[in-house]
Amino acid sequence: MTESTQALGNGTILVVGGGISGLTTALEAAEVGYEVFIVEKNPYLGGRVAQLNQYFPKLCPPTCGLEINFKRIKNNPRIHFFTLAEVEKVSGSPGSYDVTVRLNPRYVNENCTCCDECAKACKMEITDEFNLGMNRQKGAYLPHEMSFPSRYVISPQIIGTEDAQRCKDVCKYGAVDLDMETRSMNLNVGAIVWSTGWVPYDAGRIDNLGFGRYPNIVTNMMMERMAAPNGPTEGKVLRPSDDKAPESVAFVQCAGSRDENHLPYCSYICCMASLKQATYVRERYPDAKIYIFYIDLRAPGQKYEQFYQRIKEDENVFFIKGKVAEVSEDPDSKGITVTAENAMTGEKIHQTVDMVVLATGMQPSAATAKLPADLTYNADGFIVNDFKKGGMFGAGCANRPADVMSSNQNATGMALKAIQTLVKR
Amino acid sequence: MADRYMIEPDLNFIKELNGMGADTLKKCYQCATCSVACPISPDDRPFPRKEMIAASWGLKEKLIKSCDIWLCHNCGDCTTMCPRGAKPGDTLAALRNYAIMDYGKPRALAEAVNDPKKLPILLLIPAVIFVIVGLITGLLDFTPEGSEIVHSHFFSSWLVDLIMVPASIWTVVIFAIGIKGFMKDIHENAVAEGKTQKEKLEIVPFLKSIVNVIPKILMHSKFSECGENEERATSHMMVLFGFIGLFIVTSIFFVTMYGFGIHGPYSQLNPVKWLANIAGVALVIGSALMIKNRFAKQPDQNTTYKDWSLIGLALALGLTGMLTEMTRLGGAAGLSYTIYFIHLMFVFALFVYLPYSKLAHLVYRTLAIAYADYSGRKF
Repeated sequence: MTESTQALGNGTILVVGGGISGLTTALEAAEVGYEVFIVEKNPYLGGRVAQLNQYFPKLCPPTCGLEINFKRIKNNPRIHFFTLAEVEKVSGSPGSYDVTVRLNPRYVNENCTCCDECAKACKMEITDEFNLGMNRQKGAYLPHEMSFPSRYVISPQIIGTEDAQRCKDVCKYGAVDLDMETRSMNLNVGAIVWSTGWVPYDAGRIDNLGFGRYPNIVTNMMMERMAAPNGPTEGKVLRPSDDKAPESVAFVQCAGSRDENHLPYCSYICCMASLKQATYVRERYPDAKIYIFYIDLRAPGQKYEQFYQRIKEDENVFFIKGKVAEVSEDPDSKGITVTAENAMTGEKIHQTVDMVVLATGMQPSAATAKLPADLTYNADGFIVNDFKKGGMFGAGCANRPADVMSSNQNATGMALKAIQTLVKR
Repeated sequence: MADRYMIEPDLNFIKELNGMGADTLKKCYQCATCSVACPISPDDRPFPRKEMIAASWGLKEKLIKSCDIWLCHNCGDCTTMCPRGAKPGDTLAALRNYAIMDYGKPRALAEAVNDPKKLPILLLIPAVIFVIVGLITGLLDFTPEGSEIVHSHFFSSWLVDLIMVPASIWTVVIFAIGIKGFMKDIHENAVAEGKTQKEKLEIVPFLKSIVNVIPKILMHSKFSECGENEERATSHMMVLFGFIGLFIVTSIFFVTMYGFGIHGPYSQLNPVKWLANIAGVALVIGSALMIKNRFAKQPDQNTTYKDWSLIGLALALGLTGMLTEMTRLGGAAGLSYTIYFIHLMFVFALFVYLPYSKLAHLVYRTLAIAYADYSGRKF
């Protein structure tokens, strides 16, 4: 591993985005001998996967996969990664691209030992983006326990305040450097893999599903953070309004998905995610009831199908074929009533539950902010790969909605495509 | 729902619905958002999700014999919320149109009324009848006497009523045939689908239900529950009350003329005249608003020939009626007689083609709503 602070001369492969797909592409290419740069926007690697509690269908924690990858990166001198870094400009053609990368200041250098003294000294609290805003954290923070690189960050929000100075003063290792500035660096690379990932669809835009209006309606990613031991509730699934243990939870599938008014496509993972999250609730609360409202339950492939069958055997899990189209809140109990027509029986159901989880889909990051390169997108913002032209490729969820497993397969394929671009030259 | 039965898709029915405005029907993927989005759909066997799949499968009998398609007031909430652009509202409108044609006998006339190419012939028929009957009976006087413009001098009231009274009787008879089949069908359908506990359709309690629902219909209470409908309820109410007002005026006119020998035109100070003027203006403004709303809703809502022809007829009736009066008061004799003639043609069209036009919903929807009340369908 070389954690780079400056660009190396010879261009090889640039991987934009250090989530599970980017890490895979980088490792696959580096381990067969190619030089790779990873540019990651966040202060840590691991992307969305780092936010998960468990993978489906094996229900193992994401640390499993990420730890191994981080170790491979550490052991590989051909991988250079930059966190808090963003690609600003790309010019050139397959075989030779000039890339401008902006490096945002972390205000903490490699001397950091994660002693937490700076966080203790800091008084100001900021929104914890890693936990999707469900809690607040200090202005000097470690993004999460498993952060890689394992180093604190001073938020730009406290720069210039007394808090920042307090952080600097308290650090025994001289790790806090408030003079760090935004820098620009140039890379010359032969191929670029865009593994820019996804953002959860903004549930607040789905008017009829009440997110943002009623506190006990959360999204599936919020559920992941709640269930994660390093999350805002330390792994306890509690309903937000009163931290009560939910006795009943409704999952609303296709919340803003397969819907012309929102995301017209299927995000592939939400059905499996809800089935998985049903187990989070069920293992914590043996009497809790789960209601899963769906249009079609999609558990693609043999293993996922088996997982679905297993959940179906649980007599506390109820499946209702019908999309929830209306929600209301009881002002006293704060319980939520969801309404759907059960298409199997032809009756409208008004199910009152303690908590509702909206299974929102994935939107490619590029849908909201176009990438600074000559790429082709489909109508939904996913990168369309032009293998004839070559040189630049979309991998993982930048290319299509996918689970971790198929993202990795896709990312491996894109590593090969990138290598082919270099070899052809 | 566990009953198994072999479905017999009527492919032609699906095609016909397509042509009647339900061209997006097949986009439906049965998510059932529409049934929840609909503010007036009942909890038990709600619509329109079940109608969408039945239409998709070509189950004609199940659909056009269902009272549920008439409970829909076509507000378009379901269409707005539909994730696929399948426009359930348009499908239900097409189903109602289909049902009107199916209950309107003879079928050939029903088809002609709904074919834009036949419109000139349909409007020519009353003109020819008028002239022929007028010439044969000698009731058509081309040289009306007197300086005052009196329409009945030109078109004798005898002539008008000689044609309009049989025309009204025709309408009643055709409707009677339609209603007989309609009531039998919707009851059988409700029993078969478990939408009612009543085994027999009893006349007296049903008539009571009609009495129950009429004030609600007049107040547009269901209509106003429809989310996207506020403006539409106003224009619809204007047109409906316009027609009712004019019907009352015509009845009074008829009774006073034949009963008491009092002839028109009435003075502008006569309260009946006030009602006539108010109703006429309501009809014109209401139908003009409807046209405006229809344009505003495009392309989210399909507007078919059936929709345009009815609104057009309402507007034409109102306009020609008002213009007849205005030209009469203005002293433009030739113009006034001409417009009055055109007006009479539209009145004839209204009567004779009523059972086949979209206006038949006046009868079928009223009966369906009354049936829902009678059968205990919470709606």
